[in-house]
Amino acid sequence: MRKMTDLISINCVKLLISALFYTCVLCSSVEQKIYVVLNETVPCVRLLNATHQIGCQSSISGDTGVLHVLETESDLDWILSSGPHPPYMVIMETAFFNRSVMMRMKNSSRVAGVAVIISKTGLADNFSPHTTCPNQNTGVYSESYGSDLANCNGTVWNPLGNGLSYEDFSFPVFALKDENQTQVLRKCYEDHNQRVNGSAPQYPLCAMQLFSHMHAVTDTVTCMRRTDLQNRFSINPEVLCDPLSDFNVWTSTRPLNNSAKGHAADESVVIAATRLDGRSFFWEQAPAAEGTVSGIVTLLATIQALYPVTQEAPPPRNIFFSFFQGEAFDYIGSSKMVYDMEKNDFVIDMNNVHSMLEIGQVGLLSGRSLWMHSDPVSRQNKSVDTEVSEMMSRIQSAAAGLKLTVDHPSVSQPLPPSSFQRFLRARRIPGLVLADHNTSFTNRYYESMYDDAENLNVTYPPGLTPDEQLVYETDAAKSLAEVATLVARSLYLQAGGEENNLNNITADPKIVAQLLYGFLVQKNNSWFRSLLPPEVTKKGVNSILSPGPPQFYIGLGPRVHGPAHSVTRFVQYILANLTGTVTNLTESQCQNPSELSTENKDLFSYFWVSGPASVNGTREPFCVRASVRLSKAVSPAFELLEYGSRNYSTWTESRWKSIRARIFLVASRELERKDAFAGRLSDSPAQRRTSRCAAGWRSVLHSGWDSDCLRHCADHPLLQIKDAFVWR
Amino acid sequence: MNLERIPNEEKLSLCRRYYLGGFAFLPFLWLVNVLWFFREAFLKPTYTEQLQIKSYVKKSALGLIVWVAVLTTWITIFQHFRAQWGEVGDYLSFTIPLGTA
Repeated sequence: MRKMTDLISINCVKLLISALFYTCVLCSSVEQKIYVVLNETVPCVRLLNATHQIGCQSSISGDTGVLHVLETESDLDWILSSGPHPPYMVIMETAFFNRSVMMRMKNSSRVAGVAVIISKTGLADNFSPHTTCPNQNTGVYSESYGSDLANCNGTVWNPLGNGLSYEDFSFPVFALKDENQTQVLRKCYEDHNQRVNGSAPQYPLCAMQLFSHMHAVTDTVTCMRRTDLQNRFSINPEVLCDPLSDFNVWTSTRPLNNSAKGHAADESVVIAATRLDGRSFFWEQAPAAEGTVSGIVTLLATIQALYPVTQEAPPPRNIFFSFFQGEAFDYIGSSKMVYDMEKNDFVIDMNNVHSMLEIGQVGLLSGRSLWMHSDPVSRQNKSVDTEVSEMMSRIQSAAAGLKLTVDHPSVSQPLPPSSFQRFLRARRIPGLVLADHNTSFTNRYYESMYDDAENLNVTYPPGLTPDEQLVYETDAAKSLAEVATLVARSLYLQAGGEENNLNNITADPKIVAQLLYGFLVQKNNSWFRSLLPPEVTKKGVNSILSPGPPQFYIGLGPRVHGPAHSVTRFVQYILANLTGTVTNLTESQCQNPSELSTENKDLFSYFWVSGPASVNGTREPFCVRASVRLSKAVSPAFELLEYGSRNYSTWTESRWKSIRARIFLVASRELERKDAFAGRLSDSPAQRRTSRCAAGWRSVLHSGWDSDCLRHCADHPLLQIKDAFVWR
Repeated sequence: MNLERIPNEEKLSLCRRYYLGGFAFLPFLWLVNVLWFFREAFLKPTYTEQLQIKSYVKKSALGLIVWVAVLTTWITIFQHFRAQWGEVGDYLSFTIPLGTA
C-alpha cells in the first residue's frame, strides 16, 4: 500500500514539474504575441530648477489609454468630451502641437498621454516652445541694473515663443520620429478604433502604454536634499537627479600657462565667444541650426582665418576664443567661467579682459545687414561708451571691403540673451553681440526640433555622394564665410593689429561648408573621422560618430555619461586641427609629453588623432600639439551648494528607471472583470478564448490556463499587424 | 496557551503583567490583553480574581483606544501634509516615494 502511494505521489510531482515547465516556457512567447514594442520614440523628461519642475511625468506602471488620432477639431471634441472610452492616448498630428491644444489636454482628465508625430507636413509657419524672454532672470538686466529693460520690457526677443518647454505635464508626451512606426500606429487605429458612420467603435480597441516615470519632484532643492538623505541613511542609496554639466572649450592665439591661475601678468585679452548648446521640448533632441550651429561654425572659421596671421604678425593683445556650453539653461558655462575668473581659479581674470565680442545667431542674413548689439546701461559711462564706439567703428571699417553691411540698433535697446550678459554682471567691460536680427529673432523655430538644416537653407542638390556633399559650398556656407571674415578682421583690429595685414585674413568657404555638413547633416563623415582619435572611429554603436546630425543638448556630463559630450569633443578636435602643429611624437609620448624637455604640458595639449584615410583604407595616426583646453561647465550653485540660488543656474535633470512604449488590444472593463472572476463559468468556449486573448496578459493569468488559447492567439488580428511590418 | 488549565491566581498575574507591560509604549500588549481575557473577565461565572481581571481589561481597553486615536490622527495628518512640510517632512520620513511630492 505504501509503495503504491509513493508511486502516485512521485508521478504527481513529475506532472506538476512538467506542467510548470510547459507553462513557464510559453509565458514569454504569449507576451510577445500580445504587445508590440515601439522602439523609435523620444520622451519628454522632467527638469527642475530652484523653484519649479517642468517637463512630463507618467505613473510608475505606465499610462494606458485607447488610441485616437487627432487630425481635426471634431477629434479634439471626441477626446476631451464626447468619446465613450476615456482615458485616451492621443496621436497628435504636427499641426495640432501648439499651446492651446496642449493646455486643453493638460486640464482634461480624459487624456492619458500624447504621442506627437514629428514631420514637416502640416508644420506651422513658426514653432518655438521656448519662452518669449529667454533667461530673463539670470541675465544682466534686473531691478538694480536697467530696471526698465528687465524682463523684456524693452524688446521681446522671442515673440513667437509659446513656452511649452517650460510647462509641467502630468502625463507622458512622446515624439514619433520614425515614419514606419507611425504607420503601425495608424493601421492599428484604423483597424480597431475608427468610428463607423459616426457611432463609437466597439471593443476590443487598440491601446498604447507609455512608461516615463521620473524620480525627482518639486524642485532642485527638494531633489538634492532627498538625494543627500538617501546617501546618508539608506542601505541602497538612489540618486534622484543630476545637475546639467559638461565642458566649455577655449583656446587663444598666444598660449596661456594653464597651471598659473589668477591674474596673468602683461596679458590684455579680447574675448571672442559663442554658445555650444541648444534644447527642444523633447529629451536630447536639439538640432539648433540657426540658434547654435551658425555661431559655432562662424567662430571656428574665424579662428581658421585669423590663426596664420596672428603667428606671423602677432597683434599686441591676446585673443581668447571661448565656446560656452549650457547657455540655454540660464548660462551654465559662462557663469562658471566668470565665477572662476573672480575666484582667481582660471588662467586669466577680469582685470585681463580688455573687451568682448560675441557671435549670436548669424545664419539667416539673406542679404540683409548684420547688427551690433550693445548694452545701453554700461554705455552711460563715458569711457565704456568711447570704447564701444571705437569697437563698432573698427567693425565698420573691416566690413568696408566685404559684401556685408553692419548696422547698430537704437541706443536704448538692451542686449539680446547672450553670454556677454554674465560678464557684464561681474564688470562693465565694453563689448558687442553680433546677430542677424535687429529687434526680435529672425529664427522662427528657436530652440525647437524644427531648427535644422532646412531652417538655415542648407540643402544639397540631389544625386551627390556624401563626400561630395561634404565639400559642396551652399549659399549659407558662403554667407557664413563672409561673416567669419568680418569677425576675424574686426578681432585683429580690436587686438591692436595693423590695418595693412587685413587683406590676408579671409575665411575659407570650403572649411565652412565642411563644418556645416558635419554639424547639420552627418557627423560621421570622412573629415571628422580624420580629426578624431582612433578609438573613437573604431567603436561600435554607442560611439559619438553614430549616423545623423549631432544633437546639441548639454546632457549630464562626465559624471554620468562617460567622457565629454560629442559636440564638445568635435569642437575640441576641430580646433586642434585648425590651430595645432603636427609633431612627430609616438603615441606613448603623446600621452605623457612632460617626459620630453622640448614639450610643455602647461602651455599646450597633445592629441593623438587618426589622420586621413589613405587609398587602401588605412590610417596613420599622429600627435597634434595645440593650445586648446576644456574647462568645466557646471553651475557654481552646485559648488557652493546653494541649490535655491537666484544668481546662478540650478537646472537638474531627473533620473528614471525605464522609458518605453508599447501597443496592444484591450477589452472592455466588464469583460476583464468577468473573466477574472467567473473564468470557466462564462458563456461559450469560443468567446472565452477571444476575451482571454484580447484582454491581455493579466486576464489570461486570472482565468486559468488553456492550451487552446495558444492556437487561437495565432489567428489573432494583432499578430497580423505585427507580421505586416517586419521588425529588426 | 489555554487559559482553562491555569489556576486563577496565575491568570490574574498574567493579566497584570500584560497590563503593566503595555505602558512601555506597547499598545499591542493591551490589545492582546483585551482579546485574550475578555471572555474570562465578562463571560465566565464569577470567581474571586475576576473583579481585578475585569478592571485590568477595562483599563487596557481604555489605553488601547487612546493609542489608536493618537496614531490615527498622526498618520492622517502626516500622510496629508508631508508634501507641504518640505524639509521637515523629508527629515521625518523613513522612505520617501519617488516621483510624487
